Amino acid sequence: MKKVIAREKLPELWAHLAAQGPLYLPIQDGPVVLFQPWAEGAEVNLDAVNSAVSPKDIFLPREETFMHYRTSGRQLEMTPVEANEPVTAFGVHPCDLKAIELLDRVFLDQDPPDALYQNRRDKTTVVALSCREADPFCFCSDFGVDPADAPGADVMAYLTDSSLLLEARTEKGKALLEQSGDFLADASKESFSGKEVTTADFNLQLEGLAENLKERFDDPVWDQLYKSCLGCGVCTYVCPTCYCFDVEDFGHEAEGERFRCWDSCMYGHFTEMAGGHNPRPERKERVRQRFLHKLQYYPEIHNEIACVGCGRCLRSCPVNLDIVQAIKALGGETVEQC
Amino acid sequence: MSSVNPLMPQQATILDITEETPDIKTLRVVGKEGMPFDFMPGQCAMLSVFPVGEAIFSITSSPTCRECLEFSIKDVGSVSGALHCLTPGQQIGIRGPYGNGFPIDQMKGKDLLFIGGGIGLAPLRSLIGYCFDHRQDFGHIDIVYGARSPADMIRKSEVRETWRQEPDTSVYLTVDAEFPDWDGNVGFVPNYVSELAFTPGNRVAVTCGPPIMIKFVLQALEKLKFSPEQVITTLEMRMKCGVGKCGRCNLGPVYVCKDGPVFSLAELNALPAEY
Repeated sequence: MKKVIAREKLPELWAHLAAQGPLYLPIQDGPVVLFQPWAEGAEVNLDAVNSAVSPKDIFLPREETFMHYRTSGRQLEMTPVEANEPVTAFGVHPCDLKAIELLDRVFLDQDPPDALYQNRRDKTTVVALSCREADPFCFCSDFGVDPADAPGADVMAYLTDSSLLLEARTEKGKALLEQSGDFLADASKESFSGKEVTTADFNLQLEGLAENLKERFDDPVWDQLYKSCLGCGVCTYVCPTCYCFDVEDFGHEAEGERFRCWDSCMYGHFTEMAGGHNPRPERKERVRQRFLHKLQYYPEIHNEIACVGCGRCLRSCPVNLDIVQAIKALGGETVEQC
Repeated sequence: MSSVNPLMPQQATILDITEETPDIKTLRVVGKEGMPFDFMPGQCAMLSVFPVGEAIFSITSSPTCRECLEFSIKDVGSVSGALHCLTPGQQIGIRGPYGNGFPIDQMKGKDLLFIGGGIGLAPLRSLIGYCFDHRQDFGHIDIVYGARSPADMIRKSEVRETWRQEPDTSVYLTVDAEFPDWDGNVGFVPNYVSELAFTPGNRVAVTCGPPIMIKFVLQALEKLKFSPEQVITTLEMRMKCGVGKCGRCNLGPVYVCKDGPVFSLAELNALPAEY
């Protein structure tokens, strides 16, 4: 099913979709673009290359309450909370959708499935948006991502100067386009394809990297690499494939809630045990953990590097200790033959 | 929701509480309808006290005990501290079981050497109880247990009396220093293991205790010519989810909560030494 809508008509489509349930879109928020629930007057920016923070929080929210508790005397009552509204994630770029598929391996494919994540994944229709341009930090092509196309999309969208073309790829996607019929014109005779986009070439050599890293846990490279790290954790915050979380209670003895929230392996408390022992006490161990998890540990389990080349850590790290620097320091750079 | 939320605890009630040592209590816990879940020795459970939070503890009762789950808990952190303040009849949250448990099938037909230190006896006790209840499946059983002082030993009547009466079983107790009325060995656990000069033979050695004790016990067993496959231990890491997702207990390609906490020394040697 193929449909088209003129750009100036998009706010009507947003209003229609948002009436069914939360509609997440790349929204200009001061100097940055963030995936946020659409509301009347929101400044949607479909032309942005990438949102500052990945849209992973649509599926793994920064904070998610999953139960309420109530006590009376010695009695304890626990009531689960679950999200019920259908969600639309609109304008997700191919790199970010690929990242969600990498999260699926952890949260859906590995037993036991994560019911909170699965619930949000099931209830969300993803409208992926083909990239029209890349910035100097985009390097998704290194990870097999096609910036023009996202194979896992429910609806694949292509932006032109005047309109937005929409192609349903799944039943969910078809349902979304059908129930938005009043706003969309038929485009079944048109042929849709994304623009060819050239991404940055950092001369990365990723093949065999995970295997080579098995011998490099105690490599002296780690004694240098971590030094500039400030431990701020922004890399894990903006990263679409970082998924570490914490579980905490909020409330008092009589009642309250339990929630999970994003956490970061870059923080000292992350692994600190009761009694004070900490297996990753310093930034060196924590930097090593983050990069080895992406480049060696995750690939050992899932046969794929846990990076999609979205470029967010390159844009955000205040000291340029990004994944490209790490890959290069660890020997993952093409050496030109003389 | 299409599947059960693995983070959602179920309701449990504390049956009774035993003070084992000045800082260790044993809680006996039942679910709404008897046992909260089935488990195997070496597995763990998450206990919740609201609004303090949740922490993971090894189950110290044997799965052959069908009345309740037992947890021997040392007061070292916020959740363990909160659990120490509770009284019988109090309801708490529980979820589990988590972890791989001890490789019982590989231990069948073998002589067993259990080496525990302090609160480290807690997970071993589940396995020891299981072996006593399936006595014909295992060979000779040696138990070496040490604590800082006689007062710091847990399950005192079992380690001093009951276990010694089990068939084909030897119990060796040691404390770190001389104490009045103490007639057992004096010295650290690893040294005592060396002195007792256990032979590898057809043995499997299982050790749990403080990291420093485990480190030297492993060295002692190596000197006694135990192979890495014959030595089994447990790892302790901070955990939040218990199901291999939250990332805290990640060690190379394994998640200790799910793929551990029980590892052979051979398996441990293949992992980054970051525990």
